[in-house]
Amino acid sequence: MNNGAILSGKGLSKKYGDLKVVRDVSLSVNAGEFVCLVGKSGCGKTTLLSLLSGLERPTTGLVMLEGKDITSATEDELALFRRKNVGFVFQSFNLIPTLSAWENVALPLFPVKMNEDERKRRALELLDKMELGPRTEHLPSALSGGEKQRVAIARALINRPKILFADEPIGNLDSATGDAIMEILNRLHREEGVAILMVTHEAELAKTADRLVRMHDGEVIS
Amino acid sequence: MNLHYLMNELYYQKRRTLTAILGLSIGIALLIILNALSAAYRQAAHAPLKEIGADITVQRPGDVPKDLTGVVFPCSAVTIRDDQVKKIEGLPGVRGVGKAVLLWIFDPSRAWIVLGVEQQNSVGPAVLRSAVTEGRYLEPGKPEALVEISYARQFGIKVGDTITMANTSFPVVGLVDASRAAKIAISNVYVPLEEAQKLAAASSQVQSVSPFSPSDVNLLFIKADQDKITDLASALRNIVDKKATIGTPESFLKLLGSLFALSDKFTMAASLIAVIIAVLIAFKTMAGNIAERAREIGILKAVGWTNHNVVSQLLAESVIQCFLAGLLGLLIALVVAFGLSFMKVNIPIPWDMSPTPHFLPGGGDQIFKTLRLPVHIPWNLACFGILLSVVIGGVTGAMLGRTISRIKPSEVLRHE
Repeated sequence: MNNGAILSGKGLSKKYGDLKVVRDVSLSVNAGEFVCLVGKSGCGKTTLLSLLSGLERPTTGLVMLEGKDITSATEDELALFRRKNVGFVFQSFNLIPTLSAWENVALPLFPVKMNEDERKRRALELLDKMELGPRTEHLPSALSGGEKQRVAIARALINRPKILFADEPIGNLDSATGDAIMEILNRLHREEGVAILMVTHEAELAKTADRLVRMHDGEVIS
Repeated sequence: MNLHYLMNELYYQKRRTLTAILGLSIGIALLIILNALSAAYRQAAHAPLKEIGADITVQRPGDVPKDLTGVVFPCSAVTIRDDQVKKIEGLPGVRGVGKAVLLWIFDPSRAWIVLGVEQQNSVGPAVLRSAVTEGRYLEPGKPEALVEISYARQFGIKVGDTITMANTSFPVVGLVDASRAAKIAISNVYVPLEEAQKLAAASSQVQSVSPFSPSDVNLLFIKADQDKITDLASALRNIVDKKATIGTPESFLKLLGSLFALSDKFTMAASLIAVIIAVLIAFKTMAGNIAERAREIGILKAVGWTNHNVVSQLLAESVIQCFLAGLLGLLIALVVAFGLSFMKVNIPIPWDMSPTPHFLPGGGDQIFKTLRLPVHIPWNLACFGILLSVVIGGVTGAMLGRTISRIKPSEVLRHE
C-alpha cells in the first residue's frame, strides 16, 4: 500500500554524550502502511521511534509529519502534535494506576474541552471494540496483561491518530496474548487503515507487516 | 485540570495523600494554637483590670508615714494632683477616667482599708454596684458606707449600723462581696470619693508625707483605646511621676511569666518557625510524591498533555491537598484549644495595687486572680490558617509542577 508518506525522517542522528545511538537514518511511513522496525536490543530502534514520534529531538536531521517539520517545534507544540496525530502503545502498557480502564482510554482527551459524556462515550466505544466492555470501570491493577495492552491500544486510538507507534507491544505478554494483540494491530491496519510503526526485536512478528526495516548499531541496514 | 483524575489520585494514593495532609496539618495546627494561646494569655492579662472597669491604673509611690496612726496613705499610693488628673483626661486615647482615694485608717480599736469611689462613674470601682449582696449601693451626695462582707462578718457589722472611722460616722447602707468583683484596690469599706478626700485632706499624717487638697486623688482608673495603651503608659509617667506605678494588660502579662506572655516577638518567631516547618514538610512530602510520579507525568506528556496541562493538574492536586490539611489542622487546633481551655492561670496582683498593712491578718499574702485560660480560635485566625495552607499548596504545587513538567517523556518511558 502506498498512499504517500505521512511521516518521514531524513538524516536522523541522536547522540547521548559521545555515544551515537542513531546514525544518519532516513525512514518514511506511508499513510495506512504497517512498518516493522526490527533489530537486536540496544540497536537504537526505540530511540528512532522516539525521534519519529516527537518524543525526543534528533541531534541532527529532520522529521516531517504530513509535510510539517516537527523538529523545530516547541515542547508544547510537540505535545499538541502528539495529541492530534499520534498514538502510542508501549511494552509496559503505561496506564495510570488510579484511573479506571475507560478513564485511561480517555486520558488524552482530558485537557480537551469536551463534554464528559462524549469523552466517556468515545472511550467505551473503543473498549467495546477491544472486547473490554465488562471491564470499563476496573483499575489497571484488576486487569490482566493482555487487557492492559488492549486498554493502551484503545487509548492510542482515542484521538483518531494518523499513525500508531508501538514499541515492543507484546514484549511483556505470553505468546497467546501476544498473538491476540498482534491480531488487533493487524485488524486496525487492515480495516481502519491506520499507519503503524512497530518496533520489535522478534523478526517473526514482522511477517504481517507491509515493510520490514532492519537496524544494527544505530543504522538502517535493509 | 480534570477533577475526576484529581479525586482518584487523592483517593487511591491514600498513603501519599495522608502523609502530605498530616504533615502540613500539624504545622498549621501548631501555628493556630500558638497564636490562640498567645491571645488567651493576652486576654487573661486583661482580666484584673477589666473587672475593675479599666484598662490602666495609675498610682504614685511615696514615703511611709512616721506613725501609722489615724488616716494615712499606703506607701504605694500618694497624691495625684487635680491638675495632673485634668491633663490625663485630655490625653489622646483616654476614653474615661475614674478617680479614687485609697486610705488606711488606724483607729485605736480597729484598722480600716477605705476606698473613696465615684458612685456614678462607670469607670473604676463603681463596678462594685453589681457585687452588693445586701442593702444598696452608695447614692450621690450622701456620707454613707458599703462594708466588705467578710470584714462585716468578722466584726459583726450589719446594714443599718453606723461605723465611725477617724472620728467620722457613716451609716452602713449595704454589704458588698468585693472579691467577686475585683482583686485590685480591695478594701474593707467603700465611701463616696468626696468623703475620702475630706478625710485625707484633714489628716496631718497624709499632709506630712504628700500634700493633699480636697480635689486630689491617689488612685486613677483609665479606660483607653486598646491600641494606645502602651503610648499612654509613658505619657502618664511623664505627667504623674517617672516612678509611677502604671498597671496595664502588658504589665500583668509580664507578671504571668509564660513564654507566650512574654512578648509578641516570641509568638511571631514561634509562628514563623511553625510556618517554615509546615512549608518544608509540605514541600518535602509533595516533592517526594511528585518524583514518584515521574513516569506518570511522562505518560501524560506522551499522550499530548502540554506543560500547562500538567502544571494545572498538579497545582490543583496540591491546593486541594493543602486545603484539606488546613481543615484538619484547624480541627486539631480546635481539639487542643478545647483541652487547653481547662487550664487555670493565676495572675499575681502586685501588693502595690491592692495594698494591705503587713501586720494585719493576711496582709503579706500574695493575691492572685485565678481564671480559666480563655483559649479560643477566632474565625480570622482559622481563616488565616486555611488560607495559608492553600497558599502553601499553590506555591508548592506550582514550583514542583513546573519542575516536573519539564521532564522528557522519552527519558521515563523507556522500557526496562
